[in-house]
Amino acid sequence: MIPRHFQITIALVLLAILISGVVIIRMTHKEEALTLQAAEAAPVAPVVGGKQEHIQVLMAYDDDQALRWRPAEVFLPADRGLRARETLRYVLAQYLQTPSPHPLGKGSDIKDVYFISDDTMIVDTTAPFADGHPSGILLEELTLTSLIETLNANVPGIAKVKFLVDGKERETLAGHADLMSFYQTAAVHELAKEFE
Amino acid sequence: MIDPSHGGSDKGATFGGKLVEKDITLRLARELRKELEERGIASRLLRDSDIDLSLERRAEIANEQHAGLYVALHAGRPGKGVRVYASFLTDDPQQPSASRFMPWESAQAGALGRSQITARAVSDELRKKGLTVANLAMPVRPLNNLAGPAIAVELTPETDDPQSPENVKRQNTVAAAVAAAIAQVRIQLGGRP
Repeated sequence: MIPRHFQITIALVLLAILISGVVIIRMTHKEEALTLQAAEAAPVAPVVGGKQEHIQVLMAYDDDQALRWRPAEVFLPADRGLRARETLRYVLAQYLQTPSPHPLGKGSDIKDVYFISDDTMIVDTTAPFADGHPSGILLEELTLTSLIETLNANVPGIAKVKFLVDGKERETLAGHADLMSFYQTAAVHELAKEFE
Repeated sequence: MIDPSHGGSDKGATFGGKLVEKDITLRLARELRKELEERGIASRLLRDSDIDLSLERRAEIANEQHAGLYVALHAGRPGKGVRVYASFLTDDPQQPSASRFMPWESAQAGALGRSQITARAVSDELRKKGLTVANLAMPVRPLNNLAGPAIAVELTPETDDPQSPENVKRQNTVAAAVAAAIAQVRIQLGGRP
């Protein structure tokens, strides 16, 4: 016959082991989530070299619902694709600063940029670019117009642009702006004039 | 066809934590339906409760029912007042083939003129009510997928309080102005006088 106090002690020890196990599993999951979050927030594309150039970028300003050209000094490679990627990354980096004229979600970045024909470009963005984008027709359209028009001004020969999110098509940026269509840069140029 | 945008798990924009776009659009849609009824114009809400409904399905329903006009209702920041949108075709509209089918991504091409007329009429009526109005062309999903005239109306909440009388008053004013504009352009849109 096992004494009662001994049974209670064993039960308490087992309970303590069980609770410790649950706590350790939860802490491990939390650590993994933090690591993943940090990885998503970090730049995904390597920094490239190139010549420092003086370019113009079209920035969105939420307070006055406007787009304004701003000068910038950016290191740009000669390759068209890399040049496009670095130009877009520069614009997004401005939006991620504090204070920001047009705040975007942490981790917003360009994963890749590639041409599917001589004049048609695909821009692959990170998931936080769309997942963390503030929702609203105007806010979403200002982002897309700012990016496309900045490309239009700095990378010659791009007629059409389409955006992907983490390698996949997405219907809208954050519930409003169309991401399924190819954007004609000439049409976006006219659209941008409404906000300049 | 009145489309209270978002719904269900899709809250849309949030204002101060408690006020969400999907609730504003549903209340505004019900008010617009009432205003249209008072003017003898039949209308239907694409959702009349807090349900999930994809953008694609919304366009499908409006197209299947040959809606005389599709009005998507939104709420968003920044700014003040109201923004009225007609479609902006981002790509070259593909020419419809000899069959009755039209390309999904540019189904709006044939109705864009009537959409712009409606958007201008709505903007004019809103201005008459003393509201700050911007009339814009934007690729707002799913306007480009609509085969008939289609507009989107985005209002900016006065405050972040869901119960705020100012918000309710603004929504009622917007609903009345949109209904008045629809009554005006009804004949141009192919409706009965």
